[in-house]
Amino acid sequence: MRIDRTALVATAVALAAVVATPQAQVTYTRLVRAAAEPQNWLTYGGNYKSQRYSPLAEINRQNVARLKLAWAYQTRAGLNETSPIVADGVMYLTEPPSTVTALDVRTGRPLWTYTPAIPADVITFSSPQVNRGVAILDDTVFLGTIAGHLIALDARSGGLRWDVLVEDNKGGYYLTLAPLALDGQVIVGVSGAEAGIRGFIDAYDAKTGARRWRTYTVPAPGEAGSDTWPKNDAWKTGGGSTWLTGSYDPDLNLLYWTTGNPGPDWNPDNRPGDNLYTCALLAMDPSSGAIKWHFQFTPGDMHDWDANQMVILFEAPINGRERKLLAQANRNAFYYLLDRATGEFITATPFSKQTWAERLDAKGRPIRKPGTAPSVDGTLVYPHIQGAANWFSPSYSPRTGLFYQSVREMSAYFFKGEAKFTRGAPFVGGGGRAVTGDEALGVVRALDATTGKLKWEFPLLSPGWASLMATAGDLVFGGTEEGNLFALDAETGKPLWDIQAGGAVRGIPVSYAVDGKQYVAITAGTTLFTFALP
Amino acid sequence: MRHEWIRTSLVVLLVTGPAAAQGGQDASATDIEQGKAIFGGACVVCHGIDGGGAMAPPLNRPTLQSAPDDAALQMVIKEGIPARGMPRVRRFTDNELRQLAAYIRSLPRTSRTPITGNATAGAAVYDRMGCAACHIAQGQGGSFGPQLTNIGFARGPEYLRQAIVEPGAALPRSAVMGLRGYDEYVPIQVVARDGRTVRGVRVNEDAFTLQVREQSGALHSFRKADVRSIHKEPGASLMPSYRTRLSSTELDDLVAYLASLGDAQ
Repeated sequence: MRIDRTALVATAVALAAVVATPQAQVTYTRLVRAAAEPQNWLTYGGNYKSQRYSPLAEINRQNVARLKLAWAYQTRAGLNETSPIVADGVMYLTEPPSTVTALDVRTGRPLWTYTPAIPADVITFSSPQVNRGVAILDDTVFLGTIAGHLIALDARSGGLRWDVLVEDNKGGYYLTLAPLALDGQVIVGVSGAEAGIRGFIDAYDAKTGARRWRTYTVPAPGEAGSDTWPKNDAWKTGGGSTWLTGSYDPDLNLLYWTTGNPGPDWNPDNRPGDNLYTCALLAMDPSSGAIKWHFQFTPGDMHDWDANQMVILFEAPINGRERKLLAQANRNAFYYLLDRATGEFITATPFSKQTWAERLDAKGRPIRKPGTAPSVDGTLVYPHIQGAANWFSPSYSPRTGLFYQSVREMSAYFFKGEAKFTRGAPFVGGGGRAVTGDEALGVVRALDATTGKLKWEFPLLSPGWASLMATAGDLVFGGTEEGNLFALDAETGKPLWDIQAGGAVRGIPVSYAVDGKQYVAITAGTTLFTFALP
Repeated sequence: MRHEWIRTSLVVLLVTGPAAAQGGQDASATDIEQGKAIFGGACVVCHGIDGGGAMAPPLNRPTLQSAPDDAALQMVIKEGIPARGMPRVRRFTDNELRQLAAYIRSLPRTSRTPITGNATAGAAVYDRMGCAACHIAQGQGGSFGPQLTNIGFARGPEYLRQAIVEPGAALPRSAVMGLRGYDEYVPIQVVARDGRTVRGVRVNEDAFTLQVREQSGALHSFRKADVRSIHKEPGASLMPSYRTRLSSTELDDLVAYLASLGDAQ
């Protein structure tokens, strides 16, 4: 470990007049051992387990109330839903829609910026035009774009190493996710299930940009899982987008990636069946892309409940036996716990109000309630179209054993409409109308990670889009749609610090240390804020 | 000329005919019927039954301020008018959009919200009842309640009627950044740590703070952690009901007056 944790907790080291950090190679070995260098934030989720947990403890429950602004950086206009990467004194921050800027972490001053060409008629039916972050491997930064490209940039200068087309945006494919860098290769998925795409997960050679493999999330006729589709062409427009960064277990050598809704979203008439592998989790061999096992959360989905929520890996005893586990708070309002080696379903518990499932069976398959399908007149169902959870990151603290989730407790009227496929046009077959205002609630919930049972909750005002980050200082950082940034006591949920940032918080918090001093960074509105103790 | 709305509208209606010019010549009775079904699901909550207007503007008018032709109408449906609270709706197919537009364009022919009152007489009722104590209209009046400058455009007559006789049931939705979609003017009572009580309306709120305006005009800012209790009264209003204070003719006249405000575009 390069930081003396005791010294870090005891004193904030004074900033030297001249400082220099050697910009070392961010090797695959460093990514695997990311937890051993808490001064950096090397992957989207902080580590391959996607725990979004910082082992730094200088900022803690006793002193967090004294947190002060260190510096701010104003981004381009648009929505900021990004998680910065911090490596060896440099922060790599993406800005809307697909720009990446390298910042000096000591001062916030830009070192370089790169903006790819985005056609004016770019198609982004499934989301706002956002970017959620970059990946770093060796001396290269990897950026996905809404034009459907994956781009590799020199980490020191922003110079272009390579630029490949993942898939044609004219067909509705685009990238908002942070790529995931593994050993010598970069994994990406695509957005676009509102355009009748056929989803896939791709691996690219990190040095050359050559595609190593592609695994479709909707099987063609004759392939495994094709019996869950009717004998028509529905699979060709079957959706199953892969728009959120996955997790990875180097010991099991399994890559975990989630999939989105089947197409068309709200009118399932032409696609009776479970529609594998939509609304599911895939455990894959990263060397070949082969699917080793899968778990489908919402078979034959008709509410647009993509399973593209972060999958957190952790270890804990279940019935007295230490297990390698995986947890996800799904958009469908259930918290799932699986054995991540085998895919065995262990338990699931609702973490938000839901009115669509009678219960889950012993294998975790939902038994739907009658009368909950979208209809021409509208069917009121909890959770909302955007789900009880969504892309924003939950967090897991190994110190408390709690899974922290920002919850959207709200309903919607679900409508069924017509669905006719035209390439490059919306292919959704209906929609929803949110029930908003005082009837919709936002709340941060802390769940016992092994049971899903509620430990505490902290009410927000409206359902939020901000991510959470737990730290070894026993704090949970987050934000609200009304512009509050806050820190809660990780054990009790008691609010210990907050500040009004002046813009809706859709950012994803990270923590890092510079010269032994801990920082917390998050975007609100069109500004990245970094905070530290005085 | 604020009192000439009804006459002007009728003239426009007669001159342009039943909106046939913008009605989409290709629209069939089936299209309109389909469009009505879509409207019933997606639009009726804000724009009212048969587009008669409610929280959102009436659509049974020969000309729509933001949608002079079919292309503009489809664009408004797709892109919304976020500043005025109209959400963008991207889910419709081109065919559904066409059907929806055809139905909306047919509304002036099939549904007309009757305004039976006399707007000039209504202006006198407005003065007599002292509405200007709390509302700004035509640049005059107090600031505790919502301004009525453009209210005839923004709301339907039935909504205006309800706002007069049952104000708490017709609270407007906020457009303030950070409270969008929430009821505005929710009565609220806050008891501070020192026992001091403040009663007023919610101006804004977040997870940690609350802004309250008293009828005196005084603005109070609270940290939620620093107060003893917060009591909201959803569905209530600090505006008194005028149900028993107005005759039915006076009520009709007042609605006609309000409906004439801001409709001169």
